[in-house]
Amino acid sequence: MPPAPPSSSRSGLEATFLENRDKLLHFLRARGAGDAAEDLVQEVWLKISRSAPGPVAAPLSYLFRTADLLMIDRFRSTRQSGTRERDWTEAHVDEAGASPEPSAERRLSAAQEAGRVLSLLESLGPRVSAIFRRHRIDGIAQKQIAAELGVSLSTVESDLRVAYRALAQWKERSDEA
Amino acid sequence: MSDDDKIRAEALNWTLRVGDPAFEDWEGFTHWLDANPAHARAYDTVAAAVADGAELIAAAAPANDDVEPAIVPASPRRRAWLGGAVAASLLLVGGLWVWQAGSRDLYRIETAPGQVRSVALDAQTRVDLAGGTAMEFDRKDPRFARLESGQALFTVRHDEARPFRVTVGEDTLVDVGTVFDVRHDGEDFSVAVSEGAVQFNPKAQDLRISPGEMLRRHGKAGDYTLGKIAPAQVGEWREGRVTFEDTALDSVAADLARATGVAYVVAPGSADRKVSGSLLVAPLREDPAALGPLLGVRVRADGKRWVIGTP
Repeated sequence: MPPAPPSSSRSGLEATFLENRDKLLHFLRARGAGDAAEDLVQEVWLKISRSAPGPVAAPLSYLFRTADLLMIDRFRSTRQSGTRERDWTEAHVDEAGASPEPSAERRLSAAQEAGRVLSLLESLGPRVSAIFRRHRIDGIAQKQIAAELGVSLSTVESDLRVAYRALAQWKERSDEA
Repeated sequence: MSDDDKIRAEALNWTLRVGDPAFEDWEGFTHWLDANPAHARAYDTVAAAVADGAELIAAAAPANDDVEPAIVPASPRRRAWLGGAVAASLLLVGGLWVWQAGSRDLYRIETAPGQVRSVALDAQTRVDLAGGTAMEFDRKDPRFARLESGQALFTVRHDEARPFRVTVGEDTLVDVGTVFDVRHDGEDFSVAVSEGAVQFNPKAQDLRISPGEMLRRHGKAGDYTLGKIAPAQVGEWREGRVTFEDTALDSVAADLARATGVAYVVAPGSADRKVSGSLLVAPLREDPAALGPLLGVRVRADGKRWVIGTP
């Protein structure tokens, strides 16, 4: 038998990437990537080939998820750099000539924010809080959480919706502040 | 429902769906995004808020031991989730907590305004109560104190194995080898450290307060601010001195009343006026009106009270 053509020795992930490149591009544009969409497709590929995840059960979902998370991270970092600049200016006005190392104020405001989010989540009730942690921190699928807790999937969904809504409002408030 | 609200609700739904590891409907998601450029923005906003929140929560602290078991019973699989050892330790923690709470043998010490009292908890651990202070201690646990109201200076022998804990309202302070001063007036709260360090609310904010730092909260739900204080100034009330730096007159009056036993009150409308100054307490007991020139305020007698106001 002649050796298989190189294309078939590519990982399933790479084949899926090449087959769905246009769909991914379309998705990134719809996600708001604009002119950067081409570059981001490239970045998705680099991310995937660097992390070399081994066999992936649902390669198409894996590609889209990588692209989606990339966009969320981009959004978060543009927003954060805006905030950082503002914080820095404030710190500079407050203590002229002070060193720019993470100040006690900065440490405190991070700790304070964490405390606020924690008590916000806990105020939603122990089940909402436990389901949120299980899903978003442990990364467990909603269906499995429902089975673990012996509740319906729609209960898990509505609890998560409560938590997400609260977090969205929290962020809105702290952006306004 | 306005268009914005509708988009927000849809974005929340998609965040919920897309965020599940089992999600597969990327075509449907793309379709929704295509429909309106505002959709992507709305989705990013919710998804980023959830990611930010999850990150803070993951970094802040493990789930509260006393909250988790409350939802345990649903199914035996829950035990598998926790893992046998973790489940066992949660039970143990819960058990210990109940046992400790049940076995506390508290006694109360109060000081009158103007009175200072020192309580020795062991050879190297001492609590000095300022005037007008109420505290509780545990006969069985010399490493615990509760400040109900007032002000106290803690000089604590550090013991890694048995950290000294102070509870103030819902807040907890844990010493890291320390001299620190705690105040609790009405809903206001502050802690100032002169030696060592104090860990503030290890289960929530988990903030370390270092020598020369003072953490304050104004009101029950107020924000915390971390400021500076000269270490020598921490607990100076014990030597009969009080220092005010840009302090509102109502706290000045409360502080002085506590320290001197003289019934100082603030004049109507002057509560927020800020003053600075450092003064010895003893002379004020003899002559309450001497406060006036020291702080640049007007002091007048009103029956048994001394009213402080702006000049």
